[in-house]
Amino acid sequence: MFQDLPPEPPAVAAEAPPPQSLQTLTPVTRARVAAALTETTVDIDTGFAGASMVLYGAVFNPTDTPADVVVVVRGPDQPVRLVRKVRIAGLWLNSRPVVFEGAPGFYMTASTRPLSDIASFSVLRRLGVGVDHLSINAPDEETTVTRFGVRDVVINRLGEDYLDWRRAVIRLKEDAALYATDPDGVRFVDQGLFRAEVELPTEAPTGTYEAEVWLFQEGEAVSVSRMELTVDKVGVERAIYDFAHMRSWLYGIIAVVLAAFTGWAASAWFRRT
Amino acid sequence: MDIYLPIAEVSVNAPLLILLGAAVGFISGLFGIGGGFLMAPILIFMGIPPTVAVASQASHVVASSTSGVISYTAKKGVDYRMGGIMALGGAIGALGGVELFRLMRLLGQADLVVALSYLIFLGAIGGLMLKESLEAIIRRRKGLPAPRPQNRRPLWLYGLPWRMKFPRSGLYISAIPPLGLGVFAGVLSAIMGVGGGFILVPAMLYVLRMKANVVVGTSLFQIIITTAITTVLQSGRNQTVDIVLSSLLLFGGVVGAQYGARMSGKFRAEELRAVLGLLVLLVGIQMGLELFVRPAEMFVLAPGVD
Repeated sequence: MFQDLPPEPPAVAAEAPPPQSLQTLTPVTRARVAAALTETTVDIDTGFAGASMVLYGAVFNPTDTPADVVVVVRGPDQPVRLVRKVRIAGLWLNSRPVVFEGAPGFYMTASTRPLSDIASFSVLRRLGVGVDHLSINAPDEETTVTRFGVRDVVINRLGEDYLDWRRAVIRLKEDAALYATDPDGVRFVDQGLFRAEVELPTEAPTGTYEAEVWLFQEGEAVSVSRMELTVDKVGVERAIYDFAHMRSWLYGIIAVVLAAFTGWAASAWFRRT
Repeated sequence: MDIYLPIAEVSVNAPLLILLGAAVGFISGLFGIGGGFLMAPILIFMGIPPTVAVASQASHVVASSTSGVISYTAKKGVDYRMGGIMALGGAIGALGGVELFRLMRLLGQADLVVALSYLIFLGAIGGLMLKESLEAIIRRRKGLPAPRPQNRRPLWLYGLPWRMKFPRSGLYISAIPPLGLGVFAGVLSAIMGVGGGFILVPAMLYVLRMKANVVVGTSLFQIIITTAITTVLQSGRNQTVDIVLSSLLLFGGVVGAQYGARMSGKFRAEELRAVLGLLVLLVGIQMGLELFVRPAEMFVLAPGVD
């Protein structure tokens, strides 16, 4: 749509320089992207059942080359402990847990086309864009050995199964709606104006999220716009959570007293009636 | 009406939880048990993290047992001396059990320990209870007289040191067996999130041979102390007690327990035991089944080490 537009006059583009953009200083003849979120904070209160927000933005494309938009929303990193079911003497038991680092607690991409059509494997890997290009690994399982006379070769104790383990991390997160890939989640609503929906499930972790909007032309990233999103417990939820973690022993005692009191009150009430 | 639980960090249906609490409370009042063995599997099935489910429902057990003990005290059905000694053991057991559970979580074997405990203890107790009560029912149907109660206690109860008088229970035995029973119930309470009544009641009846009318009240008294300590320990050590979850459960639970206690007088004791035995056996098999069935997903997220 937007590539049919005539080149925009420089003054218009200069009026709205996206401050986060990488290309602030480059000439305005290059394509750029600017974006914002409808909400920059998500409050988890008693009625929280997930959140849905819209990321919207504009593409300034004075060139004739078509451009693709990729939206990435990444939550705070959470180490993942994974076990594998193994059959021992007819019983299905858990293997030793393996800790994977670098896995975000939430990760979604939305784009105008499938990521593999937009850019090459190596470009995506370098930028860390796409669920397959996250740097999830298990540092505790790695050791360095000398092989064929080469020193410090990094090998993984999980051996050939390593990829199965890594894929399982992503699959389990996808099942919990914490990871999502939407190859046509970015839609153009008008010339150069696009929107993408961001769905946070109830299980989404709290913390600071980073949203990135990449603009790709001919398989290369030409512009990026970054913004932050904060997900936090508020009100009663916050108070209870803080109390449980800061005064955990007192919290436990209160829980017991409350329970015993309720039991006593119920029996007193029922004896009267 | 969905409500977000601050510690479990999931959203659940509040009226459903209150109903669940009421149903389990009813069963607990009917049979004179804590009901934890039923509650934990259901909560886990509803998507609440197992560690939070086990820790939070302990306070539901405290609430329903408290109202039970109050009504048994009125009937002089609580041996506080016996219960106190068991509770002391329970405290020691809970302390060890919480640490054991923590270690098992770190090793990724918490699931195995929970599944095995349910399978072994619930399976064995449920099976025995079902067999014994069915035999009693069949004998009654045939019009046969009840077998002479075997009133001989094991001799070792008398051979051990620290003998104490338990007038309410009609016993003069060593304090070590009740203490040991308490320790065992305490460990189970931490690992399975149960009060341990289903172990204590048969042990008090068939091993210690206490007077039958004080057994349930005393076991409930011991359960209150043990689960109260477990709740405080789980909260202080693991921060896994969700007060919103436990409040929802216990409001339904205390009401259900009262109705259950009223209903219990309307059934024959052996019929109640047969139903309870079947229930216990089924839960045990259900929890243990996961060890034998090929899992659909070969990889499982292990609860975090936060």
